[in-house]
Parts: sequence; structure tokens; C-alpha cells
Amino acid sequence: MNTYDVMVIGSGFAGMAASLFAAKRGLSVAQAGGTGGIDFSTGFIDLMAVHPVAGQRVWEDPYAALAALRRDLPLHPYAHVTDDEIAAALGEFAAFLGDNGLCYTGRPGRNTLTLTSAGTVKPTYLLPCSAWGGVEALEAKAPTLLVDFHGLKGISARQIAEVRADWPELRTARVRFPGMGGELYPEHMAWSMADQARRIELAEAVRPLLGDARFVGFPAIFGMTDTMAVVRHMEELLGRRVFEIPTLPPSIAGPRLRAAFDRGLPVLGVRTYTQKLVSAAEVSDGLFHFTAGSGSTAVRIAARGAVLASGRFFGKGLKADRHAVREAVFDLPVSQPGKREDWHRAEFFDPRGHGINQAGLETDAALRPLGADGRPFHPRLHAAGAILAHQDWMRMKCGAGLAIATACKAVRDLNQNL
Amino acid sequence: MDFFSIGLGLACLSFVLGLAWRVHGRPGSRLPRPSAGHGRVNRGLAAGLADIVLLRRTLRGGKLRWAGHTLLLLGFLPLLVLHAMDGIVTRPLFSGYEPTLEPWQSARNILGLAALAGLGLLAWHRGRRLPSLSRFQDWALLGLLASILLTGFLLEAAKMSSPADFERMVADYFPEADSEEFIALQAHWARENGVRFERFLPTAQEILEQGRELHEDRCAGCHAATSTAFASRALADALPAGIVLPRTVPPIFWHLHVGLSFLALALLPWGKFLHPLASPANLLARGGRRDSGFPASALGRNLALEACTRCGQCSLHCSVSPSRRVLGNADILPMDKLADLRSWLDRSLDGAPLADLVEGSHVCTECLRCTQVCPAGIDLQDLWMSSKAALSEEGRAGVDGEIRKRSAGEWARELGSRRLGGVGSSGPGLADRAESFWGCVQCTTCTGVCPVVAVSTDPQRDLDLTPQQIMNYLRMGLKAQTLGARMVWSCTTCYKCQEHCPQGVPVADILYELRQLGAGTLRHKGKP
Repeated sequence: MNTYDVMVIGSGFAGMAASLFAAKRGLSVAQAGGTGGIDFSTGFIDLMAVHPVAGQRVWEDPYAALAALRRDLPLHPYAHVTDDEIAAALGEFAAFLGDNGLCYTGRPGRNTLTLTSAGTVKPTYLLPCSAWGGVEALEAKAPTLLVDFHGLKGISARQIAEVRADWPELRTARVRFPGMGGELYPEHMAWSMADQARRIELAEAVRPLLGDARFVGFPAIFGMTDTMAVVRHMEELLGRRVFEIPTLPPSIAGPRLRAAFDRGLPVLGVRTYTQKLVSAAEVSDGLFHFTAGSGSTAVRIAARGAVLASGRFFGKGLKADRHAVREAVFDLPVSQPGKREDWHRAEFFDPRGHGINQAGLETDAALRPLGADGRPFHPRLHAAGAILAHQDWMRMKCGAGLAIATACKAVRDLNQNL
Repeated sequence: MDFFSIGLGLACLSFVLGLAWRVHGRPGSRLPRPSAGHGRVNRGLAAGLADIVLLRRTLRGGKLRWAGHTLLLLGFLPLLVLHAMDGIVTRPLFSGYEPTLEPWQSARNILGLAALAGLGLLAWHRGRRLPSLSRFQDWALLGLLASILLTGFLLEAAKMSSPADFERMVADYFPEADSEEFIALQAHWARENGVRFERFLPTAQEILEQGRELHEDRCAGCHAATSTAFASRALADALPAGIVLPRTVPPIFWHLHVGLSFLALALLPWGKFLHPLASPANLLARGGRRDSGFPASALGRNLALEACTRCGQCSLHCSVSPSRRVLGNADILPMDKLADLRSWLDRSLDGAPLADLVEGSHVCTECLRCTQVCPAGIDLQDLWMSSKAALSEEGRAGVDGEIRKRSAGEWARELGSRRLGGVGSSGPGLADRAESFWGCVQCTTCTGVCPVVAVSTDPQRDLDLTPQQIMNYLRMGLKAQTLGARMVWSCTTCYKCQEHCPQGVPVADILYELRQLGAGTLRHKGKP
């Protein structure tokens, strides 16, 4: 059995980032996790946009929002990382994605408002280059054609146009997707777009509808592995700027992220155990021993340090029964509402959010989760991402940024102790 | 015409006619034409020869079988060539050859014992590993070869202890012997070579010395000491003292030994008895390949059909053998399926055995394992693929074919009244357990990654239901509605759905279970 420097538990944004940063710093890394969060990602990398959530205040400058956040909510995990650390981590992360065929862009120090599949706009920090044309079109309210497909659920061009009453030159059209009928699924469409002939057929179907549009928006289906090449080819075929709008999760954006990591992490020497949840852990002073997977395919992994990036409920990092929330791997104490009635407020869309969405692990300043005695559970166990307590990443629009920044911090502090 | 000529003639006739029937007897092939093969590789000849001579493929299947087979071949082949055919091989090649001289006498015993030891290992292996897969012909071949070898030893032992043979030899080669010389020679042979005489023989030193001199003079030119035929001599010596073999015993053993040998020759073209010829020929034709898809020609395919040694390796390694245990159909396992496939190609299979072949043919997942382990190098994969297509072409497409004759809705009405188990019931299936679906959030990930959905032009039209829709039906207890869905019957069990499910729903296992349930229901359709 190999002994690794770091075991990364989880394969969402935080787990992928922790593996990336640890491998880049020369550590030997094993990573295990299921396809939890990342397959359901919108593909946007949020940094920090909404604070306080009760007031729904949207910040254009994420770093100003962070300053306010650290002042108002000193327990928020962002309080443990500096702006410089966050900027460096995001830069390194985006560069890795770019190297692996997934182009990201944004405006330094500024959030960008981007179009969602519901027609609303959402502030985010970095977004796929394939969506950037949509930002330009939206900001200029330029003449734009939005195309959707018969049989593809979860995105309606007409609904987007109705919601965006402030954009009179937004037209819509519904076309048949070439070569497929009935109910359509984004991943199948994306794979079929690898075929140039399919793109030409699609362009033929859309060309008569172009009119005076300068931009053409499509549901995100432009290929799995080389999206920008498909976008450029479509622009060439249509003679217009082309952009993608992510569909409802699970959209193609998540599998694209996962594919980029599947390609890039093993090259850096990371031993990835995919589709294997860590089911057991034994801790001694010297080593962690993990069991990943179950049944005949279970593997044993030994490591000197670990980053717990197993997410909240959907990632299976936290488990809730009728009475309490527990941490799944080490059974660490979980910060949570005192009793079940306080998990949720009466209204689902209450702007203040729900108590259960702040549940998670308490840590010290080095992001080491605390044991029952209030001291770090283990000197070389760190936590990162959504499993950390005192944050509501969905409402604060800080999910990916928080995951990436805390993963970077966790790896750096762990590296000093190895 | 004597026994030998008539026997040899009949055996040869049976061999030639049988071989001709076996090679040319198959009426126009029912299998589709082999696809044009790629260019043959030249290293093939050497690899094929190595497979034959070293039994390399047999070694992969286990050391015991390899050791048994190697011993048998090393013992039996030289006996066949140098002993059975000594008149046309050994005598012309080696001047002064006599079967009763050294080294032939001891060599024969060593070779015979080696062959018997090999047979013993093979029989032990078969009895231990393949008792349920073995048929009469498997034991018959082992028994026949062992009988030939054993009667050979018995014949040799009987001849060396028989007074009749001694007297015949003296009459032929020392007719002028007077009674004193005859007794001296008898005394020497009784003492040195183990011949049993009825009369009491002198033991005086000078008489024995005289006998030895006469032996050197008259006999030793053609006779080494019988002790060099150590195994037979031990047999002869094991006869209780004082017992003299009746004159009829050696001829009985001779007729048995020769007659059994003729029987083996006559049976050579039949059943697995042909494998000593067909398997090496097939190995040569395969040229060391272990993969599939290179049917050199229709002739090559016929050779493959005949090359089975019934060693059982394919059936021991078959990946659908659990289905065999559940369904009880012998034709699910490759070895028996091949035999029935041969009968079907010979147009002598119908009724229940044909139904078994069709079912076995469709339970097969074409995983290639049998082709890879076959010691005779048979491209079983090619035979399964082509025969499955040919059977479907004749309207025998098995459960898959039956299911597709009606729509999912028609099946739901047909099966709706049956007890199929249901969610929350105590049924043994995954689909019957409510907890199988607790995690399902209907997120469509299983459908999104499914390659079968991906290649369909319209999932609803081509597949009736998508995987996540089937999970939804099942958790609502609508099992009958899912059984006829073509998604269930088109699933390749690639397990992508199950591996990508963020909630741990065993999607692929459930789809496979539905197919088993559907197949079982259809199998017993019409039966109470």
C-alpha cells in the first residue's frame, strides 16, 4: 500500500482544487470522491457577490464585499484567507482549466452579471469564455437571437425574452436539433457537436432566422472537450457572435469541469479514485488509513495528511437524520441549529436563508476542524469548501471561490506540517 | 483374411469414411459469410506450432491439465509411431530392430507408464473440476486409451511368463534342441526371465550354466533380459507362485490390445475423439491469435467447430455461468452450446434442445473470455456472434426478439395481472426495495450519460422509457410498465448510469434485474 503525503476526500470544486494545489506544490496526492457537486455546477466561478443575504445587496467589487463580510461575520471561512491568497488561488485554478481546454474569463476585481437559463441575471466572477458573448450582448442590449430546441427541457428562449423586458431587441426561435428527436439531453447533444457535419446542419437550420441579430445565443451544448473550437466554428458558419447559456443542472458545464480535471490531475501525478466515496477512516499519530469505495472494489489508502473536502449534504460530507447532522468520515462535531425545528424557516424563499444552510465544521485559523474538546481534531487534518460552517454559499454567491480559496489555504498550512 | 487384416481394414474404412463425413458432411452453412479478414500475420505459423508442441494454451488453463496432457503425448505418440507402426517405421529405420531388444523394451515400458500417469492426472482433474460437465465420451476416450495401455502391459507380462510362447519360439528358432538342452534352456529362462513352466526344473549350477550358454547362442540375439521391461516383468512376477498361465491367455490379451487399438482408430473421426487431429490443425490456422474476428474462411470456421476437446475451460470461465445455475439450461455454457450448435448446423436439432440453444445464445454477453481461454484456440466469439445472427434471421431471436414483437404498453397489459413483486414488498429484488430509490432526485444524470440513449434518434420512440423514467416508474410500483420497455432490453450493462449517479441508485443492476424478471416471465409463459 502506497503512503501519500495528502489524501483529498471529495471531488467537487474544493477537492479538485486541493488536489491541484497539493500536486503543484510537489506533494504526493490521492483523491477519492463521488460525482457529487461538480456534475451539478453551472460552470460559473463565483467569488463573493451578495451580502448581507437578508438585504440581497449585490456587490460589483467582490473584494469590497469580502471586507464587509469579514467585518460583519467574523466566523465566515473567508475570514481565514486574505485577498491576496484568494486572488492567487483563483488565478492558478483558472490557468489549470485553461491548460486543459476549458477557457475562463472575467474582469479583474469586478463581478460580472451573466444571463441564466431562467432569464434572470446572476453576478459571478469568472465564467466560461463560451458564455462571454452573452455578457457583451446583455450589456449592450444588442440585437440578439436566442435559439432553443424542441425536446430540450430546462431552457426556454421565450421565457428568457419575457423576463428580459429591458432588452427589446432580443428575439427567440425554436429549432429541431439535427439528428435527434423526442426528449433531448445536453450531454448527448454536446458529444454529437464534435461532428462538424452536425454543426453545419445546425447552422443551416438557424441561418434563415438570423435577421439583423449581431449575437446568437444557444443552450450550452457546444461540445464536451473543445467548446471554444465549436463556438468559433459556429461563428464562422453563421457570421455572427455566438454564445452559450448554461441549462438547468445537470448541465454540460459540470461534466466539462470534471473532464478537465480527469485529464489534468493524473498528469500532475494525482492518484484519483473516481466514483469512490471514502467510507471509513482510522487515525493514528503517524498516519491516516482510509477505505474508499465499498464491497469488492474497495481500496485502502494511507496518507500522512488529509484535506476533508467532502461537501455538505449533496456531496455526502454531512449526513442528516431526523434529529441531527453528522460528519460522514470522522464523525467530527458539526455546528448546527440546536434543534430540528430551527433547521428551516417557515418560508422556503425567506431571504435570510435557513439555519441548516450554515451547518458545517468549526475550524481553527489554519482550517483544521475542531474535535469535541474544541482543539484541532488532528494536526494534519484540514477542511475546505462547502463543509465549513457559517457560510451560505448559494445565497452569498461565493461557492466556487470559497472552495478554491479554502482548499489553497488548507494545502499551504498542511504542507508546513508534513 | 485374419483378425488383424480385417480389423485394420474395417478401422481404416471407418476412419476414412467418418473423416470424409465430418469434413464434407455439413450441408450448406447456415452461418452468415465470414467478414473479409485482415491480412494474415506471418509470425502466425511459429506461434501456432509453439501452441501445439508446447501446449502453451493448455498451460494457461492450469498446470495439472498441462502436465497430464504433456505426459500423455510424450508417452503415447512415440508408442504409436515406434511400437504400433514398427513394421513400417522402426524396422526400416533401425537395422537389427527387435521389439524384445533394448532399448525398445525398457523404452516401451517408460512411455507406457508416462502415458498412463498422464491419463491418471487427466481423469483426476476431470473428476475433481468437471464432474457435472463431463459426458460419456469424455470418460470413454480416457478409458479406451487407458485400456489400450493396460492390455499392452498385460500382453507383455503374459507373453513373458507363458510356457506356450517359450515352446513356440524354441520350435521356430532351435528345432534341433535335444531334451537335455531344452530343459537347460527352460531352467535358464525360468530363473532369469520369469517364464512359468508346469514341470519341476533342475537348479544345478552346471545345468543353469549350460542353459545360459545356449541362451547366449540361440536367444540373446533377439531377446534382452525381460527385466528391462520392468513394468511388465513386475506384473508377471506378481502372479502368485505356482500358477502357470493357460495357453489361451496371451492370445486373449493380444486380441484385446490390438482390437482396442483398432477401435480407437475407427472412432477417431467421431465426437471429441477427433481432437488430436482437429485441435492442432485449428491451432495452426489460428496462428497464436487469442482475439476474435479473424475467420480465415468458411473452412476455418468448420475446423473451429470440430476442434473442441471438451476440456471444459470455457464453461469453467464463462461469465454468465450464474445464469446457468439459475436457469438450468446446459446450453448457456460454451462447451455444451458448441455441441448443440454443431447439431443445429447439421440440421439435426429442433424442439426443446433448439430452444435451449436459442436461449443460451442470447444469454451470452460475448465477453470474449471463452475465446481467450480455449486451449484449442477456437474463435468461439465468432461462432457465437454469427450463430446468434443466423438464429435471429430464422425468427429465433430468443427473449429479446419476443419482447420486441409487442410494445411496452401491450406488455404492461399482458403482465399487469401477474405477481411481479412490488416496491416495499418482501421480494428479493433491488426493484422491490423502497430504499433502492430513496436517494433518487430524478436529476437525469443516468439518462444523460447513457450511451444507448445517446445513439437513439428519439429516446421515447426507440426505447419507450429512459433510465431515470424507469427508476421513477419503479418507485411508484409500476413494474409491469417497465418490463417491456426497450431501454431495459437494449441496456449494454456498461454501468455508466450507476457509476455517475450522485445518489448511489443501483440503476444498471436494476435494469439487469428487470431483464432477468422479464426473461423468466416469458420463459414460463403458458406454464402454470
